[in-house]
Amino acid sequence: MVEPKKCVIDASNLVKIYQNGSEELKVLDDVSIKVYDGDFMAVLGPSGSGKSTLMNILGCLDIPTTGEYYLDGLNVLTATENELAEIRNRKIGFIFQKFNLLPRLTALQNVMLPLLYRGMDEGEAEALARGKLTLLGLGERLGHRPNELSGGQQQRVAIARAIVGNPELLLADEPTGNLDSKSSEDAMRIFQELNEQGNTIVIITHDVEVADQVKKLVYIRDGKLYENN
Amino acid sequence: MRLKQLLKLIFTNITQNKVRTFLTTLGVIVGTATIFLVVAIGQGGEAQVNEQYSKLNVGTIIVMPAQRGRVADPLTKKDAELFLASANIAQAFPLLRGNGTINYNNYSASATFMAVEPEFQTSNNLTAELGRNIEEEDENKKNRVAMVGAELANTLTDGNASEIVGQNISISGRRFEVIGIYNRVGDSGSGQSYDDAAFVPYSVGEKYLLGTRANPTINVQATGLDTVQAAIADIQSSLDENHRAGGADQFRIMDAGSRLAAAQESARSMSMLLLAVAVVVLIVSGIGIMNVMFVTVKERTKEIGTLKAIGAKKQEILNQFLIEAVIISLVGGIIGVIVGFITVPILRYFELAAIASVSGVLLGLTFSVVTGVFFGFYPAWKAADLSPLEALRYE
Ligand SMILES: Nc1ncnc2c1ncn2[C@@H]1O[C@H](COP(=O)(O)OP(=O)(O)O)[C@@H](O)[C@H]1O
Ligand SMILES: [Mg+2]
Repeated sequence: MVEPKKCVIDASNLVKIYQNGSEELKVLDDVSIKVYDGDFMAVLGPSGSGKSTLMNILGCLDIPTTGEYYLDGLNVLTATENELAEIRNRKIGFIFQKFNLLPRLTALQNVMLPLLYRGMDEGEAEALARGKLTLLGLGERLGHRPNELSGGQQQRVAIARAIVGNPELLLADEPTGNLDSKSSEDAMRIFQELNEQGNTIVIITHDVEVADQVKKLVYIRDGKLYENN
Repeated sequence: MRLKQLLKLIFTNITQNKVRTFLTTLGVIVGTATIFLVVAIGQGGEAQVNEQYSKLNVGTIIVMPAQRGRVADPLTKKDAELFLASANIAQAFPLLRGNGTINYNNYSASATFMAVEPEFQTSNNLTAELGRNIEEEDENKKNRVAMVGAELANTLTDGNASEIVGQNISISGRRFEVIGIYNRVGDSGSGQSYDDAAFVPYSVGEKYLLGTRANPTINVQATGLDTVQAAIADIQSSLDENHRAGGADQFRIMDAGSRLAAAQESARSMSMLLLAVAVVVLIVSGIGIMNVMFVTVKERTKEIGTLKAIGAKKQEILNQFLIEAVIISLVGGIIGVIVGFITVPILRYFELAAIASVSGVLLGLTFSVVTGVFFGFYPAWKAADLSPLEALRYE
């Protein structure tokens, strides 16, 4: 008998409403989503469909208007601010479309940062960060600042920063949106390899080609989630 | 995050952001140096007042008519004699002052002349450098003799001061024999110097120079500092008794101690005014700092969003930005104090009394660290309150 897989994301009935003056904008409409350990899932939808909003809630950067969300068994919506910071630091690796690297820090310092916020010793953090960057082919670029790196290289630094702390979950919001096709392919291959090594990954995209390369695909339109197109 | 790592991160941010660091530091430098210099100038002014008055005996009381010009019921030599009856008064002598033209050979000068009793000389440290002092006998016999101040003697003789002793000069057209030249005493504290004046015995001046216009002041010396107030009371009752018309009210009685206090007070209020100017400068430079901060606030707010997304706690972010602001303000403050120290001798060169002081350093540093930290830290403090998403999306 197969042991049931651990449920990393268990979100139900998520609603997000933005108040625009007297007008209510329902960006997420009763979204329920489960992601299991080892999943490689893509959420596909057109621009403005609510993808980023969903991702930000799953990544604990934002809170839903109503709904429930358990991350790795923890009730996210009752967590304090400091507990949320801890969750973001240890359980989630977030990859932004625009990379969001700190401009004044080197690639190595950027990747070390989540470990330092954990209170890890500098030497240990540096060894881990160096290892991840080398793994992603940036062993020669450790001392470069973001503006000295190409878009593809910056995205690999951002991926290294997301995975360096061994989080339960990798979330990527349109990770290929700012990349040329060659770099996009590289990035997708990296995600595939990471998933093969056991990482749970959720990618958000409006790119059908990207969506083709994942194990599980869901669709989002006008704030509603669909299993089939 | 461990403190050492936090400091490294801050150091990287400061050194990697040279323009912002420079502009912010500049604002703090200007503010600190201004405060420091204002305190230096204020203290210099106070010291100047104290020095001027150090020549003045604080037990001295001056009695003079309350109004300028001709007075119906002037003070007389007799008043001075009556004051001496008080046990609180050691010395009292009348003094006349006038302005006139003084001629010697071909030279003439317009100068102050004074009619004085012999005691005047001792109580003002005047002694004959050449010749002899005015003596009691000159007073009693109404000898038409004169003493000249060192500077006036030089003016009248074109530098050969000694030749004037034993010669005749004319004061306002009257002849006097010069019996001596006083030593140099410098500024007397009232803004004019005895070195530029001529002196004749009191009785002589009263008779020949001022006549009915004689309107003396009386210099009184209390027996001690603690008897000054009692002496003033005695003077008042004597005046009330002997000047029926308006009593003591028509005269002004000033003691050197309160004049010193008044001068110190005005020097101090000048300092306060300068300080107010400095605070304005500091606020203006603080707003400058804040502007620099706001230019980068969008960038930094996004940065704070990123830091939160990778797990930084609010307190850690606040610490980071606070320490950064403190470092920048302290460095700027210290440079500002150094700039101040360098400027003080320059001010002195331009004859502006300025004294570098510890209180200037402390006040300058305090004010600039407070404004530097407030204006530097405020934007980060606002940003740290945003949710990670709000910070990331900040426009
Ligand atoms: N802070 C906000 N206030 C108001 N409306 C917002 C806000 N954030 C997003 N929206 C709206 O929500 C909708 C979904 O946005 P988003 O989740 O970013 O879409 P996607 O990532 O799929 O392009 C859009 O119509 C957008 O204008
Ligand atoms: Mg989006």
